[in-house]
Amino acid sequence: MTCCYLTGILPRTKELIEATRAYDRGRVNEKELEKAFENATLKVIDTQLSTEFSYITDGMLKWQDLFRPFTENLSGVRIGGLARWFNNNTFYRKPIIVGDIRRKKSIIEEITYIKYLPKNSPWKAILPAPYTFAQLSENQFYTDKIELMFKYAKILREEIEGLARLGFKYVQLSDPALVYKPIATSMASDELSLIGEALKVAVKGIIIKTCLQTFFGDFSKILPEALDFPVDHVGIDLYETNFEKLKEYSFEKGVALGLVDSRDSLVENEDELVTVAKEIMESIDSSKACEVFICPNCDLEFLPWKRAEEKTKVISCVAKRLKEEFL
Amino acid sequence: MNKLFPTQEIGSLAKPRWRVKGYRGKPLSKEEITEAVDWGRKLGIEDLDELIKLLSETDSGDRKRAMLEWSAKYAIRFFESAGLDVVFAGEQWRSEMYEHVIRKTTGFKFLGCVKCFDYRYFNKAACIDKPKYVGSLYLDEFLFAKENTEKELKVPFTGPYTLVDWTFNEFYEKRLSGEFRDFKRRKLEAKREFLFDLIKKVIRPEISKLVDAGAKWIQIDEPAATTNPTDEEMELFLESFNETVKGFNCAFSLHNCYSNYEVLAKHACKLRNCSQLALEFANRDSRQAGIGDPRTGYKEIKLFEDYGFRGDYGLGVIDVHTNFVEPPELVRDRILHVVKMIGDPGRIYVSTDCGLRTRKWELSFKKLKNMVLGAELARKALK
Repeated sequence: MTCCYLTGILPRTKELIEATRAYDRGRVNEKELEKAFENATLKVIDTQLSTEFSYITDGMLKWQDLFRPFTENLSGVRIGGLARWFNNNTFYRKPIIVGDIRRKKSIIEEITYIKYLPKNSPWKAILPAPYTFAQLSENQFYTDKIELMFKYAKILREEIEGLARLGFKYVQLSDPALVYKPIATSMASDELSLIGEALKVAVKGIIIKTCLQTFFGDFSKILPEALDFPVDHVGIDLYETNFEKLKEYSFEKGVALGLVDSRDSLVENEDELVTVAKEIMESIDSSKACEVFICPNCDLEFLPWKRAEEKTKVISCVAKRLKEEFL
Repeated sequence: MNKLFPTQEIGSLAKPRWRVKGYRGKPLSKEEITEAVDWGRKLGIEDLDELIKLLSETDSGDRKRAMLEWSAKYAIRFFESAGLDVVFAGEQWRSEMYEHVIRKTTGFKFLGCVKCFDYRYFNKAACIDKPKYVGSLYLDEFLFAKENTEKELKVPFTGPYTLVDWTFNEFYEKRLSGEFRDFKRRKLEAKREFLFDLIKKVIRPEISKLVDAGAKWIQIDEPAATTNPTDEEMELFLESFNETVKGFNCAFSLHNCYSNYEVLAKHACKLRNCSQLALEFANRDSRQAGIGDPRTGYKEIKLFEDYGFRGDYGLGVIDVHTNFVEPPELVRDRILHVVKMIGDPGRIYVSTDCGLRTRKWELSFKKLKNMVLGAELARKALK
């Protein structure tokens, strides 16, 4: 079965960008800004519905960065200075861990426009994975980052259970740090096994579908260990991953193929994407038993909205063609 | 330069309101005109009546050019009055380091804003055709500055690697579609082609014009140099710098800030014809006076030395992102600490971390004056 969905924060529309700038300059008030967020959210939800996406997100337009809802709302965390977001010309505010981290309320429920998510389509939520959260935070409290990773994994579980109760059907954990290793050659097997343990704390036994989405790095470098992670699906950035190495493995879990490049504005050629997807699927899943999702390689927020919108159409078309031609 | 510890600012100065509004042809308030007059008097600018007349007039065809000239003159006098040894036009002539070049070159199209952080965005362009040089980028600014100072002049110049890294690469990726099965390899090859075409068609022709017009020192600004820290990308950056500066009878320096210096240090000794590395350190340092332990921000100098870099340092001793005015004694200690580390005081140009564009002129002036005083204290200490 080939489906499609989005994998992260969407770009703000032109109108919303103008409103946020005006807000920063004191020219619009909070109510007007909120209205602009609502309008843009409706628009990005509509785009996903009109292109027949399998799961719908609210676009995460309010998220200033992947960690911010947690940085701002967990006790024990202070908002730090700006730091580069991997190898992008984009920055995030470092979570500074200054005390025992605790969840005081439902964090994702509060920032998500649940009221605008469609009643008749399944919903998807996206959260930072334990490893990436621990790696990119500044730990001033716990013995080491491993302890922090497990503490955060517990909080994550509470969040995910809450999201399941609210009606979400799918949760993606974004884990770029797991594969972004520009200088190191590969990760040690025992470190990967610890990461798997932390994921167990976060998602084992969760009743909704879970996906570990990797991006900005080569997924083949965490194989075969990643195939044992306790998630239903794994997400792969095909603009960073060595296809040939990937094809050496047989997958027994679903894959989210990051076939559309969120970091480049050139709109992809559908024929080529279909060919590449078929080739990979035939190699890693010869029994055709696994679920396959066509998606962007990472958050589309690296593009202006108009271009991101065009790319969502490509995703949808490629998924449809694969459904017809392959399965 | 013969003088020990020459002083310099590194990037742009803030644009005063009279410059921004004046350039756009918008009416100015009395306070804004007064601000221009007050600074003009403080800096000893001649013929201020002409500026006041210009600022009070409605828009005219010549006004834009006149505003560039007035603001460049102010910036040059600003640096001179603060006592700097090396000056330039404070980038008042440019809209911004990226847009200035992209808008003056064909082959690009701005696609719209993308998020930088929070509610801050930048207007990002795509390369949609081979870049083509259609007119000078910095020549007019340089010629004007040359006419208006007796001091040593440098030309800050946005580097090609940064321009490419900050631009979507549609043209070259499309051209290579189908040639590489591996998307990653294709993107890197397309980046390489874009980068070296830009250098050949735009960057070198501009440098050639500047050198012919008498430029003796060009500072290549590459904030993106270590954004992609893999060996492969760093090699590409080095190749691009070396190709940019190859064969010109001119001194070149490289400015890079808020970056991974472990990565840069590893590769810096392979930069050819790079007489100086202008780097940001004050931002990483403590404010406590003294040489040795308090100077935590300068530890990476050792890496550059250990990896074999033997050029000069544009040593960042002024943090451009705080309103803290560094006392001259702190500036002195930062300089003397690095002298002790590298052994040769002749390799240090006393500098700001980066451009002071986010600070108000009043504050920038105080910071620069103290930097000059601190350099003088360091000279005395070594006598």
